[in-house]
Amino acid sequence: MAVCIAVIAKENYPLYIRSVPVQNELKFHYTVHTSLDVVEEKISAVGKAMADQRELYLGLLYPTEDYKVYPSHMIIVYYTPVCMFFILIENILLYRHTRYGYVTNSKVKFVIVADSSNTSLRDNEIRSMFRKLHNSFTDVMCNPFYNPGDTIQSKAFDSMVSAMMVQAS
Amino acid sequence: MSVPDYMQCAEDHQTVLVVVQPVGIVPEDQFFRIYKRIASVAQVSIRDSQRNLYIRYRHHYLPENNEWGDFQTHRKVVGLISVTTCGSAKEWPQTLDRFHSQKEVFGATLYDSRLLVFGLQGEIAEQQRTDVAFYSSYEDCPNVEKRVEDFVESIFIVLESKRLDRATDKSGDKIPLLCVPFEKKDFVGLDTDSRHYKKRCQGRMRKHVGDLCLQAGMLQDALVHYHMAVELLRSVNDFLWLGAALEGLCSASVIFHYPGGTAGKASGRKPSLAQGQGQAADAGKRHRPGALTANGISADTSSEIGRAKNCLGPEDIIEKYKEAISYYGKYKNAGVIELEACVKAVRVLAIQKRAMEASEFLQNAVYINLGQLSEEEKIQRYSILSELYHLIGFHRKSAFFKRVAAMQCVAPTIPEPGWRACYKLLLETLPGYSLSLDPKDFSKGSHCGWAAVQMRLLHELVYASRRMGNPGLSVRHLSFLLQTMLDFLSDQEKKEVTQSLENYTSKCPGGMEVLTLPDGLKLPPVAFTKLPIIRSVKLLDLPVSLRPHKQKGLLENNMSTKSPFIYSPIIMHTRGEERNKKIEFQWVQGEVCEVQLMVYNPMPFELRVEHMGLLTSGVEFEALPAALSLPAESGLYPVTLVGVPRTAGNITVNGYHTSVFGVTSDCLLEGLPSVLTSGCVVEVIPSLPRLQLSTSLPRMTRNLCPGELSSSVSVQLFNGETQHLTITLENIGSEDLETLEVASKTCNTKEKLFGEFLSWDLDEAVSQLPLKPGQSVTLTVNIKVRLDFSGGENLLQDLNDDGISVTGLPISSPLRQVLKPRAETKPLGSESSKTDYNHVKTLEAVMTFKYSGGAGKVEGYYRDLTLGVHVDIEPSVFFTRVSTLPATRTRQCHLLLDVFNSTEHELTVSANNNQDLVLHASECQRMAIQVDKFDFDTLPQPDQEALRYTNPKLLEEERLHAQASMINSTLAHPSVRRQGEASVEGVLNQLVLEHLQLAPLQWDVVVNGKPCDCDIIADCRVGDAVPLEVKLTNRSKNAVGPFALTVVPFQDYQNGVQNYALQDAVTFIGSNTFYIDTVKPTENSVCMGALLFLYTGDFYLNIKFQDDSAGQGKELPPSWFGLPSVHIKALEAPIEAGA
Repeated sequence: MAVCIAVIAKENYPLYIRSVPVQNELKFHYTVHTSLDVVEEKISAVGKAMADQRELYLGLLYPTEDYKVYPSHMIIVYYTPVCMFFILIENILLYRHTRYGYVTNSKVKFVIVADSSNTSLRDNEIRSMFRKLHNSFTDVMCNPFYNPGDTIQSKAFDSMVSAMMVQAS
Repeated sequence: MSVPDYMQCAEDHQTVLVVVQPVGIVPEDQFFRIYKRIASVAQVSIRDSQRNLYIRYRHHYLPENNEWGDFQTHRKVVGLISVTTCGSAKEWPQTLDRFHSQKEVFGATLYDSRLLVFGLQGEIAEQQRTDVAFYSSYEDCPNVEKRVEDFVESIFIVLESKRLDRATDKSGDKIPLLCVPFEKKDFVGLDTDSRHYKKRCQGRMRKHVGDLCLQAGMLQDALVHYHMAVELLRSVNDFLWLGAALEGLCSASVIFHYPGGTAGKASGRKPSLAQGQGQAADAGKRHRPGALTANGISADTSSEIGRAKNCLGPEDIIEKYKEAISYYGKYKNAGVIELEACVKAVRVLAIQKRAMEASEFLQNAVYINLGQLSEEEKIQRYSILSELYHLIGFHRKSAFFKRVAAMQCVAPTIPEPGWRACYKLLLETLPGYSLSLDPKDFSKGSHCGWAAVQMRLLHELVYASRRMGNPGLSVRHLSFLLQTMLDFLSDQEKKEVTQSLENYTSKCPGGMEVLTLPDGLKLPPVAFTKLPIIRSVKLLDLPVSLRPHKQKGLLENNMSTKSPFIYSPIIMHTRGEERNKKIEFQWVQGEVCEVQLMVYNPMPFELRVEHMGLLTSGVEFEALPAALSLPAESGLYPVTLVGVPRTAGNITVNGYHTSVFGVTSDCLLEGLPSVLTSGCVVEVIPSLPRLQLSTSLPRMTRNLCPGELSSSVSVQLFNGETQHLTITLENIGSEDLETLEVASKTCNTKEKLFGEFLSWDLDEAVSQLPLKPGQSVTLTVNIKVRLDFSGGENLLQDLNDDGISVTGLPISSPLRQVLKPRAETKPLGSESSKTDYNHVKTLEAVMTFKYSGGAGKVEGYYRDLTLGVHVDIEPSVFFTRVSTLPATRTRQCHLLLDVFNSTEHELTVSANNNQDLVLHASECQRMAIQVDKFDFDTLPQPDQEALRYTNPKLLEEERLHAQASMINSTLAHPSVRRQGEASVEGVLNQLVLEHLQLAPLQWDVVVNGKPCDCDIIADCRVGDAVPLEVKLTNRSKNAVGPFALTVVPFQDYQNGVQNYALQDAVTFIGSNTFYIDTVKPTENSVCMGALLFLYTGDFYLNIKFQDDSAGQGKELPPSWFGLPSVHIKALEAPIEAGA
């Protein structure tokens, strides 16, 4: 089940991010953000070899099944007089989540975070999800009113992403 | 063993561990100074062998870890150096006891120990001990390093002997089983004689020997031993030790492949101070296989090829590490070993630049459970993970873990949260989130980085710095957050952030100074360039009346020639020049100058900006700050910032200063590329005086003429009226007024204006100069309005009885016929045309007061003050028709004017001869004025401008200006007590003018010594000769003549009969015909004759002439010969003579 789908611009800032448990969105921001390290590493490794024919699908970014689980929960709640900062409510080790990456030729990155605790997705399922995502993203880019680099605000894209999250579950 | 050493790296396997500890009371700083000096001896080359011994120093080491010394010998504490203070001999035994008890702690494993005693005074009554060294003070201990080296050598000897001991007794006695602490109880009661057990013992011992070889600098032997150990241990499934053997193999290979070390620069090996430079240089080579000549201890040392075979390749190293770690993983108690192995492997991979695999190792390391860790250990662990991620180039991961470590510092479970440490760690995460605390990095182009994550980090920084007790930092971070993340903040967040910022600034106002953190990090100031957002900056010119102007004569000096070409089509255009472009206009020293900013408020609430002022350079400038309040999400809003330049020169507007939410910021324009500006450099000229103008007439608010006026007055006058305008000029500036010039210009008007509209006398005002500040001067200006009084030809028809009125010509004139049809062609006066005369006309003029003084005058500047004069002219009278009648005298004529009163008042018209004519409203009457004829030539020639009039008729009119003033009629409005003058100037047409003109040939007839004219009767006596003189004066431009004049006397019977047969009554003495020669222009000719009257009576002389200028071909016009008729009265001769 895909729990988070993110589109990241060439300059590594989010164009679109959507996660299923909405209340803890920041956690996924961190998850996706740290995944970029691997994405970049993979791109640079592949990029040297064959820039043109490389596969867009990057595969598993952070596999987790093979490793032991380290259950450390840190919950820190700060309260300031003015506004409440939930500085960190997260499980730093996102052991239940597997992250997959995909990079378009224009270096726009897609990251799907899947919950691998109950069902594991097959590789080709993930691939088809990315392909769909890419097609939909292309449609967004074709919109003459969309400025490349802006955050994506498209109903079509939204509905496609939510369909993907539901369907994959 | 529970505490991992995260700093370990593969080459630590070849080091020997020495613990340096203080004994008794040793000041911490002194101890660390000594420790540093000791630690500088990290590598010692052994004198008689070519091997190197590497030493790892620790000032703190758990004895628990020491128990793992058999497992991996580099974990074993082999040396102890104690540092102590001992003041006197008395304390000595006590000190020695302490030293011994400390030795006990590591006693089992120590090879040797030393005691460094500092501060001892006097002598110790004891024999010299080799393991004790005395120094008088911490400062005075020159040979500490030497002593440490000796110590290391002694360790080496023990090590070497142990190595040889273990290496040689292969097949000797029973090999003891080496084991790790947690294994001990497992082997209780095991059959020690079994083959399996023996093999295990052998394998473990091999591995141990390998460790010792590695430490002793015999890399090659170590490899061989490790290989053997791996094989032995694999066969008995002794996984823990198999892992250790594999790791040993890896370490040895790593040492072989990467002599530079894998730990990075921080813990890179420093060459020992004792070693010379040359040795340091080839220290690297020492590890090369060629240089590694074994000391002949192991006879079967392989050749170089063998070495290469034994050594693992880079790929294999990782494979073996993986294997080793997986074996370690089988033992819960070996978590630390596993973790350390992971860290070592990661370091190797980092060197190999294999980030992906390294991340896998790290991922594994994350999951290694070391049981219950203390908070401090957790922090250490996360920091090291972060460092390692950084090492492999995963900056985001690194930042993530660093941030987790920071959070750990202030975890609620910690009784005293380390906010300072938290803050420090958070700062270190900044690069990972591609965030820098310099707002300049954000000003250009689009936002970079992951805003949501960055924002969170900034919030955390703010909070941490606040809890740290440094509100200044919180303010700075919060300002930064607001400035850079404004686009990403929701409305609610904007409100919250600004509220908390206001809270903080109430305690500690934010400024523009650079904050320096204790660790040297500088926090650049944050300028709120987005609160409010500035769209454009425009320097405003001074108000019209205050603008300085350059004297024309000095203009050339001002022209700077940048190029040798007078004109070039190539414009040198460079980017950014626009901002520095100099603006055309000037500012004046001491005058308030304005800069207009277009601002808008991006916030969803009202934004209060205080102390908004200009930042300038180049000239001393006094900025007058403004406070403004911008409504929520306002549109563009103009704000004018003012200031006063105090000195002259070029001023550059660099930016502006604001104070928002208690944070003051200096926003420089150069950092704001989106701001539109048309130049920011203006010349400030020295101060000039300043005049204020007030008038006696009411001011008018709206401006009249195109162009800007300082002020204007408005007045309503009847046509022909004159009004006095008093202008008071007050010097309200600070400089003396030295020069004053006044000029006026009538705005373009369709109306034809006669006479001077505005006239003044400046002399009196000028005589009062220079005008000190505060003084004033008055000037009186006469406003005379004299528009065309003519009604045109289509005026009232009621008086137009016949054509005669216009003529006034001699009967013989043929023009009479010409004129008449002209009158008839005009459309009869209609009602509509009548209303035209009631139309109010306006006349506008601008008076310009040019003044200067003070320093600005020296520079050639002056100021203009303009006063617009607006006059609404109501029509008064019209001359609807004009004509002439000849007067009785040739030099006079009657001017007949039909005067129409178009006002609603009764008015009195009086002309030269004081004939008052009372006209009721809308009444038209004819008045006759006797006027002298004019001689046009004698009138002053209008200046050369008149030559422009190609039309001779216009030229004529021009000439008439002066003349017409003579026949102006005076108007008076008795009811409204206003009076004025009406001019006939525009009324006189060509025909009338001809009649008003004196003939070019002027005839003067003198009878009996008396000049005669029509109505003058000359008296003479009968019988006396009457001298007759005819004088011809030529005023035309050409020579005239010759003429023949014939004087014919006649008698008029007053009944139409004229008797010319007077031969009996009058006789001529001499000829009655005179011949006049050619008379040149301006000359005259006189003919003399005499008459004798024989009878009394009234006689007339008709002087006829004849043009004899034959051949000239051109007739002179008859009007030129307007000769006077002479009337002579012959009287009875005095009787008394005859009586």
